[in-house]
This record gives sequence, structure tokens and C-alpha cells, in this order.
Amino acid sequence: MKFLDLLRLISGNLSRRKARVGLTAIGVVIGTAAVVILVSLAIGLQKNANEQLYGIGDLTLIQVSPSYSEGMMVSGPMMMGGGGGGGVGGQSDLPVLTNSALDEIRAIPGVVAVMPQEYFYSMMIMKFQRLEGNASLRGIAINDLSILGLEAMQGSAELKRGGVVIGSMVAANFYDPRQRPGQEPPPPPDLYDQQLQVIAVKWDAEGNEIRKNLSLRVTGVLAEKGDDSDWSVFIPFEEIKVLNEWANGVKYNYNKDGYNQVIVKVADAKQALDVADQIIALGFQAFTMQSFVEGLNNFYMVLQVVFGGMGAIALLVAAIGIANTMTMSILERTREIGLMKAVGATNRDVLSIFLGEAAGIGFLGGLGGVVIGWLAGQALNVLAIVYLANQSTQQGGPPPSVAVYTPAWLPLFALAFATLIGMISGLYPALRAATMIPVQALKYE
Amino acid sequence: MTPLIRVAGLTRHYQMGGTTVRALDGVDIEIEPHTFTVVMGPSGSGKSSLLYLLGGLDRPSGGEIWVDDQRLDTMDENRLAVFRRDRMGFIFQSFNLVQSMSALENVAFPMQFAGVIASQRKERAASLLSQVGLADRSHHKPSELSGGQQQRVAIARALVNNPTLILADEPTGNLDTTSGVTVMQLLSDLHRGGRTVLVVTHDPRMTRFATHKIFLLDGKVVSEAEYQSAALEAPQVPSD
Repeated sequence: MKFLDLLRLISGNLSRRKARVGLTAIGVVIGTAAVVILVSLAIGLQKNANEQLYGIGDLTLIQVSPSYSEGMMVSGPMMMGGGGGGGVGGQSDLPVLTNSALDEIRAIPGVVAVMPQEYFYSMMIMKFQRLEGNASLRGIAINDLSILGLEAMQGSAELKRGGVVIGSMVAANFYDPRQRPGQEPPPPPDLYDQQLQVIAVKWDAEGNEIRKNLSLRVTGVLAEKGDDSDWSVFIPFEEIKVLNEWANGVKYNYNKDGYNQVIVKVADAKQALDVADQIIALGFQAFTMQSFVEGLNNFYMVLQVVFGGMGAIALLVAAIGIANTMTMSILERTREIGLMKAVGATNRDVLSIFLGEAAGIGFLGGLGGVVIGWLAGQALNVLAIVYLANQSTQQGGPPPSVAVYTPAWLPLFALAFATLIGMISGLYPALRAATMIPVQALKYE
Repeated sequence: MTPLIRVAGLTRHYQMGGTTVRALDGVDIEIEPHTFTVVMGPSGSGKSSLLYLLGGLDRPSGGEIWVDDQRLDTMDENRLAVFRRDRMGFIFQSFNLVQSMSALENVAFPMQFAGVIASQRKERAASLLSQVGLADRSHHKPSELSGGQQQRVAIARALVNNPTLILADEPTGNLDTTSGVTVMQLLSDLHRGGRTVLVVTHDPRMTRFATHKIFLLDGKVVSEAEYQSAALEAPQVPSD
């Protein structure tokens, strides 16, 4: 029997029992729509979570630090304390982040930049006019912070000697030290292109406070990123080195003691985990947000399976409906089956016809379910985005771009799955039809 | 001449409750090609069982069935289906037309299983409907046709794959006398056209078209004299 003839015969048989086929297909419509909506919801949640994570941290960045052995505090120069010259780092076999180690990291395929970074490890106060503020002072060995995904809201993200680039929330952290109780706090100052007084503080062996005043111009204010960069004041790496040497009273030799922290940027977020593994293999610690994202994605994968499984239960009920309809249909058409066999239909022909009819019900129901599921997903999306946008306005953070997301493969998968379910449901009745003894079928009353 | 049909020691037993019913009990027959054979017998004599066994629609309890040099009783289901499709045409008492199909579609139906393309199916079915005098009824559904017309559609359907053997089970059983005669005339025409026709009937009027007759009583082949004698002893033999 030709495939086209088979399709024609199946569609003809289904169309002459429209009401029954329609009622049976409704079950499949509900099941398929449930699968599409629930899996779309899980994918939407995953997508949303990933977008939020991309907002929190650049997934192309890897934080690298030296490994620490048990009983050992740090291996880098900054935390060795004022009196440290060689430090414990020198006593360990663990590798340190020297410039040659940085070169090794640079040589890893996919690495586009390797940037040592240090914080100011003593006390720091900022002053602007009568206001004072606190922030984290960071020195980073790059000229332009945009490499780290930080964009300037005012001025530029370039680091220049004698200048600072501040995070978006730094100004909000300024307060009036002479503010009286009940007095209205001052509004955050506009610090862009202003001269900022930075006072570094340290204490001598007797506990006397020693201050170092710096006057730095704010050359750029960064756009909000949602991470610790919002609260940071960035200066060139050389300047943080000088400040830390002053605070700790030692000279640092990075070729010997190594850096405390290095930021590695890779070309593509997908490479981050692989590069991190290679860095770990060199003997360092490496952390990337991508590993967190992977864990989260695994969670959402499970969620998709659970949600899809819930929809599949509805499909299972529909499958029983299909099996019932096909069994009834075969009972009613027993003489027709006998005739088909008498005029030359093989068991395989009969099996194909009835399996095809069951698959056809699954396909029609699947088609309806995909359309309804997609439309319901879109409607849910509109409602959910409005609700979540309100939530994010109240709680902070970027608003979601999508709540329910239906990827192109999902409708195709759902349609194929519904068709397969139909076919499986029709297997037993179709086998019964195919193996009927012709004479018994012809004489069936 | 080599017989077209050869049956040896054919038995067909059914279990009905705890009892074994011997529908056919050691039947030996040979049917020559290009003959018109009528199998006569009262209800329950085993004539329909014989026809279904010869058509490969049922399996015997014992014995051998040979049709056109092929042994049917040991043939597997799929080969049997193909054999039926290529060599046999069936005509049933209750017509067995698919009610949702037109006369033309019913006639063309068996050709789908033979893989004939749609245009050829339509052409051949129309030609056969014309031969049985139903050219103007080709698009009518079975419910829109009389019993005689439906049986003529069934005859056209039986001929569609150009079989050598036509097997008819009480083809006039559901028809009035005029329609019955028309149908028998059509079958006789097929025989004269070179086909082998085997008709199972209890109606003695149908024997006038036959070249050969087989009489069955209680699952056994008997002579015409024995059959007539039995008929005289029990004149009110109920029909099927």
C-alpha cells in the first residue's frame, strides 16, 4: 500500500467520525497545551534567572587567586602584614600569581585579558565638601573598565593617574558627619568631575594614627551593575600598589610574591568553565559565575522535566481515551477489517491504517494543544511581566524581559510527542485488528 | 487438465461450548479451471465453511487445500493476503460494501492494497461499474443503491484485481428473484469470459447456470441422488 494512499485512507476514516475524533482529541489538546505552557514557564524562569545573573556578574570573567594550603593564611604580598618580607607564601610549594604565571594564563586559548586587581587593605575615608563617605578602593591593571563590562554613566570608564572612576552608588553613600538627629540627610552629591579627598589611614606600632591625603578627580561615574562595582572607587593598579606599600610599610615584588587576585576575561561565556579548569590545573583557585549558572541551569532542567511530566500525566489520560476510542472503532468496523483482509490487505496494511488513525488523533490534538498552549503562554507572559516588573520596581533589580518562553523546538517536540502518544495508545487495538481471523471478522455481528 | 482447486481430507471443526461441531468432515474435491461450480447444501451442511477455507479466509482443522498449485493451509497470513488479492475475488451475501464510500470508491478499494496509482484505480473501477450496468451510479453511496445494485458493485469489486477465481457466498441470498437472476447472469458471463466461478447456495434455481455441482450434507460431499433423497426426507430444510 502506497504511503499517500494510506494517508488518504486515514484522513478519510477520521473525517467520517468527526465528533468522536474531536472529543477524543480534546484530551490530547489539554495534555499538549499543559506540556507547552508548563515547560515554557520553566524555560522562561530559567531565561529570566540567567538574565538576572548576567546582570549581577559578567559570565566571561574568572576570579583567580592563589591556592591556600592548610594552616597557611595567604600567599600574596598584600595580606602579609606590615612586617612581612618573604611571608608564608615563600615557604609553600603552592604556585603564586607571578607575572610569569599570568603569562601562562594568558596563553590558555580563549583568554582575552588577564588583569591583576588589589583592594586597599587599610582604612579609607572620602571627603567631598562637608560630606564624608566610605567605599571600597580598588586598583586594577587595565586602562579601561569597559573590559570588565562596566560602562560609564557620566564621563568615561578609563582609568587615569590622579583620577578615579566611581560606582553608581558611591555618591549615595556620602553623609553629613555633623548631621543632627531629625535633620534631613543631604541629597547624594554629583561627584562627576569633582575633586574628591581620599584619606588613607594606618597605625604605627604604638597605635598612633597616620593619615595620607590624596586629592583625586572623578573622571567617570559608572552605570549601575547590581554588583560590588556599584560601591567601588577604581584607581590605576600602580596607585593602589603605592597606597598598600605605604599602609603595610613594605615594597612588593610581584615576580616573587605574586598577586592576591587576578581577573581573567574569556572571549565567550561558554569557555569560562573550561578555562577555569585549566587555571585550576595550573595550581590556582578560579571562580566563575558560569559554574553557578551551570548549577542553576541543571536545577531548571529538572524543573522542566517535572513540569513536562505534569503535562505528560494529562497526556497519559488522553492516551487512555485514544485507546478506548480505537477499541470501539475496531469493534464497530470488524466486518470492514474482514473485508480489507479478504480483498488483499496484509496484517501490516491493517496495522498501519489503525495505528495511523490513532496517531492522527494524537497529531490533531497535539496541533490544537500547541496552538492553545502557545497562545496561553503569550497571554500569561503579558500578565506575568507586568506583575514581575512591579515586583522588581519595589524590590530593585532589572525588570524581567520574559516570564514564559516557548523555544521553537518545544511546539515541534510537543506535536511529535502527542503523535507518538496517539500511536502508542493505538498499538494494542491496531494489533488486535491486524491479527483478526478474516472469516471471524466477516461474520461478526 | 490440472485442477485449479484440489482439496484432500479437509476437515473443519468448531468448539461450541463443550461440543465439537464437524462443519467439514473429510472433504475431497477437485475443481477444473474455467468451470462454474455450484456448491449446494442446506443450512449447516458446511458449504460456507468450505468456501472460506478455499478462499484462505479461514484455517482448516485438517487436510490440504491447493489452489492454482499453491498450498493454502500452510501459507503464512501475509502471503495468503497477497494470494487472495491477486488470484481471488469474493462476493458475499451481505455485500460487505463500505458504507462511507461511493460505489466507485468501493470498487477501487482493493486496488489500494495492490499499490495501483489513483488515476488507474478510478479508470478501472469506472470501467467495471459500466460493465455491471452501474455507470450512472458510480458516485452513489451503498445506502442509495438497491440490494441488486449493491451486489453488482460487489461483483465489480471482486473483479477489480482481475482474479482467476471468483468465490461467491450466497450471492443472491439477500436479493429478490429478478435481482438474483441478474446477479447469476453476471456470474455466468464471468465464467464464459474464462474465469473459474464457485458459488455457494442453497437455492436449487441457481444450478441452471452451473457446469459442475457439488452437494454437501453434514460436512460430507454426497452424490446428487443422495442429496435429493435427503431433501425429500426433509423437505422443509430451512435456508441460511
